Amino acid sequence: MNTLLHRRHTAEHLNELIESAPQGLVALNDDHRRSLSARFRGVASSEHRRVDAWSVERAGQPSTPFRWGPNTARRTIGNAALRRVAAKPELLISDAVRFETDDLLLRAVSGSSRAGSLGYWLSCLSHPALGLVSAEAMNWATQLMEAAQGLILPWLIPASDAYYDVATARTTLRGRRDLIVERDQSRIIIRLRAGAPGKSAGPGLRSDMTIDALAHVDGIAPARFIGLWPEAGVLLSVDGTMSDLRAGARDLVRTAVVQRRTRLAIAA
Amino acid sequence: MTLLLPSSPLNVVDALRGDRAARPAADVTSASGLRAQLEDGIYEILGKSNPASPLIVRASSLRQPGTTSDPSFSAIGRIRGVLINQLLRLHCVGERVDHAFEEAVDAWRVEDDVNDLLKRLEQMDDDERARLATDVTAHSVTLLRSLGPLPSQWMPRSTVRATQRLAAGNVVLRDVIDLMMGMNNAHSACVVLLDVTTSPLDEAAERTMRYHALVETLRTSIVPLRTSAFSTATGDLWSTAVDHELLTRSCDEVLEVIDQLWKRQ
Repeated sequence: MNTLLHRRHTAEHLNELIESAPQGLVALNDDHRRSLSARFRGVASSEHRRVDAWSVERAGQPSTPFRWGPNTARRTIGNAALRRVAAKPELLISDAVRFETDDLLLRAVSGSSRAGSLGYWLSCLSHPALGLVSAEAMNWATQLMEAAQGLILPWLIPASDAYYDVATARTTLRGRRDLIVERDQSRIIIRLRAGAPGKSAGPGLRSDMTIDALAHVDGIAPARFIGLWPEAGVLLSVDGTMSDLRAGARDLVRTAVVQRRTRLAIAA
Repeated sequence: MTLLLPSSPLNVVDALRGDRAARPAADVTSASGLRAQLEDGIYEILGKSNPASPLIVRASSLRQPGTTSDPSFSAIGRIRGVLINQLLRLHCVGERVDHAFEEAVDAWRVEDDVNDLLKRLEQMDDDERARLATDVTAHSVTLLRSLGPLPSQWMPRSTVRATQRLAAGNVVLRDVIDLMMGMNNAHSACVVLLDVTTSPLDEAAERTMRYHALVETLRTSIVPLRTSAFSTATGDLWSTAVDHELLTRSCDEVLEVIDQLWKRQ
């Protein structure tokens, strides 16, 4: 049976969700990986595809092409800024956001950023536009810090999202994660989301959790994966059980199937 | 002789900060009661029937067209409001604003490049644009001088969105708070909400202040310290401590709006 818990977003409820996460460790082994690879290979693709929780939530329907904007840049800058604050607690979020933006701009100016990257995009912006990007990043970082500061257990901001290349299937899976809470041998992952959760929020969380388990060197799944929607004041969580991981993997494969059908329909 | 003071005698941030020693303990119990009051009230209005589409309540729904002549309702007024909001956002992150109109338009473009209001702005002739630029500059001077520098320790954040679903999603409360300061992790109430409007403050502004406090309480389950409104037209600041009575009153106002929306549907 799959799990999906709903709570109001308060520090107490978040800590309760973390403390009550399942104790036993669930791991994906080589057989699971091989089986997933075979399923993805069954969905032929002429080009390299990338599947993530957002495409699962959209049931594989194409979304607008990605482009940088304040809303897409805020997570990258905001998380990096909060990582700075975690390393140096006397640093203010506003300063951390400024330092992070300056670093990205410096990389672009020194020619280290490729075209299309965040640094490159920022370097093309006017001064007020950069200010607006900083404002969005600050909102993001403050929301995440508000959640993190209320946690009883130690936490960290991951340096990157979870990526998993499915062997010989020309497929990359991307799982987003914003906060990792460490509890004994296990970990609980928190993902910050904008807006309000929709009907497909549960499958989205399961997909993120499955990708995180696949990306783990030993295939160990997070004990619990929590989605945090501060705008709606809602917490949703799924447990790292085998049935949830299977459901997550199924959703990822189904998404690839729908993506292929859509591409074929467009080509026809 | 006209004298221009280097800074406004009224500092909004100081007024919002208030006396730190007099801050009440954070109220973490009222939210569930307010939610129940809204749910019960909605059930009395909708009964067991489901609206064809969710009834959406916004801060603007609490205005009563006809009883007040709000200049900000016109397209130009709305454009001015958006531009002033962009300037507030820039001020919030410590950006220096030298050319208010141009910089606000630049910021708006990067945020949203497909927008009816933005199109309307592009279509303006030179005279109309110059009038708007002067207007925006005047409002921005009032805003920036009255607001003063925003202390980073207060974690100022701008355009904070909130969504609350009630009655199994049949009613949605949506809100955007122009400026929010303070964090919810302290034991005492310390979150301050500020609504910035380009029209003079009136009864509708009071209802908006209460609505912001209500939605923020429902969103975080913690009652904010203060809710305020600032008019860039007059430089007036209205600020009030948030208490249970204020929140209950806002619940009644929201239920009134839901009743009107339901009857219209």
